[in-house]
Amino acid sequence: MAIIDLNNVSKSYVSGFLMRKKKAVSNISFKVGNGEILGIIGANGAGKSTIIKMIQGFIRPDKGDILIDNNKPFDPASRIKMGYLPENPYFYTNLTAVELLRFSTSASGMPKQLADKRIKTLLETVDLYPHRKQRLKTYSKGMTQRAGICFALVHDPQVVVLDEPMSGLDPLGRKMVLDLILDLKAQGKTILFCSHILNDVERVCDRVAVMDKGHLRKVFTREDLGNQTMEEVFLHTIEERSEC
Amino acid sequence: MLNKVLSLSILTFLEGVRDRAIFGIGLFALAMMSVTLVVLGFFMRELDKVAVDINLSAISLAGLLVTFFLSINLMAKDIDKRTIYCVMSKPFSRAQYVWGKYIGILFIISTAFAVLTFCSSLTIVIAKMQYTNWFKAFSWIEYFKAVYASFLMFVVLNAFIIFFSSITSSSFLTLLFSICTYIAGQTIEEVVIYLKSANGQEAQLSEFIQKMIDILQYILPNLSVFDLKVQASHAIHLPLDYLLAITGYAAIYSGILMIAASLMFSRRELP
Repeated sequence: MAIIDLNNVSKSYVSGFLMRKKKAVSNISFKVGNGEILGIIGANGAGKSTIIKMIQGFIRPDKGDILIDNNKPFDPASRIKMGYLPENPYFYTNLTAVELLRFSTSASGMPKQLADKRIKTLLETVDLYPHRKQRLKTYSKGMTQRAGICFALVHDPQVVVLDEPMSGLDPLGRKMVLDLILDLKAQGKTILFCSHILNDVERVCDRVAVMDKGHLRKVFTREDLGNQTMEEVFLHTIEERSEC
Repeated sequence: MLNKVLSLSILTFLEGVRDRAIFGIGLFALAMMSVTLVVLGFFMRELDKVAVDINLSAISLAGLLVTFFLSINLMAKDIDKRTIYCVMSKPFSRAQYVWGKYIGILFIISTAFAVLTFCSSLTIVIAKMQYTNWFKAFSWIEYFKAVYASFLMFVVLNAFIIFFSSITSSSFLTLLFSICTYIAGQTIEEVVIYLKSANGQEAQLSEFIQKMIDILQYILPNLSVFDLKVQASHAIHLPLDYLLAITGYAAIYSGILMIAASLMFSRRELP
């Protein structure tokens, strides 16, 4: 059963003084099944973040339909069981990590006792527990990213949307996040994972969607890779389309 | 639903009260109030009026600074800096977001008013002890009525800030529109007086135009109805009806603005 379902979705942005329309994504269709990890890869400006913003309900598609567990993204119900990590997580910097996570759990209707336990476990997992009472403005970029991961996962979502989760992390932090994603996979969570670090995508994803200039060029499974690396398949797909 | 709005209000409140700006504004207001005690020494008469006027002005000025420098940051910059993604990725509707922010801002304004009112009351108590003879006509009730009316003005002004933030994506534009609204709201009564007079005498206007002017002055934000400094400093008794009327005016005006803001924000994209 598809948890995330995009059907023929297009989106344009209006920009400049002449209000010219610029296509961000065109006729995108894909489904993400329950317990599956789908990676979206593509160069900068390929339309990855636009897709994620439409799934989150931040922007509306001009054409096509999006369903998250049979709910429209603008319906708050679609986000009850969804966790989201933006590309550059900006938080309320005068809050502490614990306060931020408590907000997330109370907004999701999680009982307080369960929430406190979950907050402690997650902060320990990402190594932020000793810094839990520090204000977020004192955090480094890597620490903010780890706090963002906790914020996305603290209410135990069934669907997790991660936009560049390794951004700003050192090798240890990257390993920690990759392990966390694999752990989520083992728990049967559905994950949509956007990255341009192809090695990370190769390690964790069941299927990979290649995006280029707003179009979905190809969707392939790990098995389809054969002897090729993810980078080779990606470059080959882009070059093939450029020649067309 | 109320739980969600409340959780966002608390988040907004915590973020706001820990802002350095609020400490600066608080210190400035306290300094202004302390100056009252020094300034009173330079006056020969009507010391009670001077003390009340300076203290109420300090409260209003601090409220304005909190509104323009803090409230705007709490919603307009939320959109500007994309902090809004962290809230909107949770199961909040756009209307809940708008109301949560507004109530959070009102918590901050209420706290600021509580602290400032306490400090200004303390200043007046000290002044009263120093210059007992001059404070015979002074009325605490009228003083607190003026503080309450000033608070109501900020309830309306902050609803404007939320409304402007919901239609523009720039915090600078929100600031600009809010300052313009404040100036227009404070001067509208004078404009009405000007329109109704000609060469210092009452102008001969048709009944229809008279009525239109009367209605328009309340449709456009008439913030001068919340300015009761003169009444407080002269200890002029204000009927309860007037307080109820301005409370209703503030509640209806803010409610309409918030409904409009919720509708506008629900249609808005957050790219």
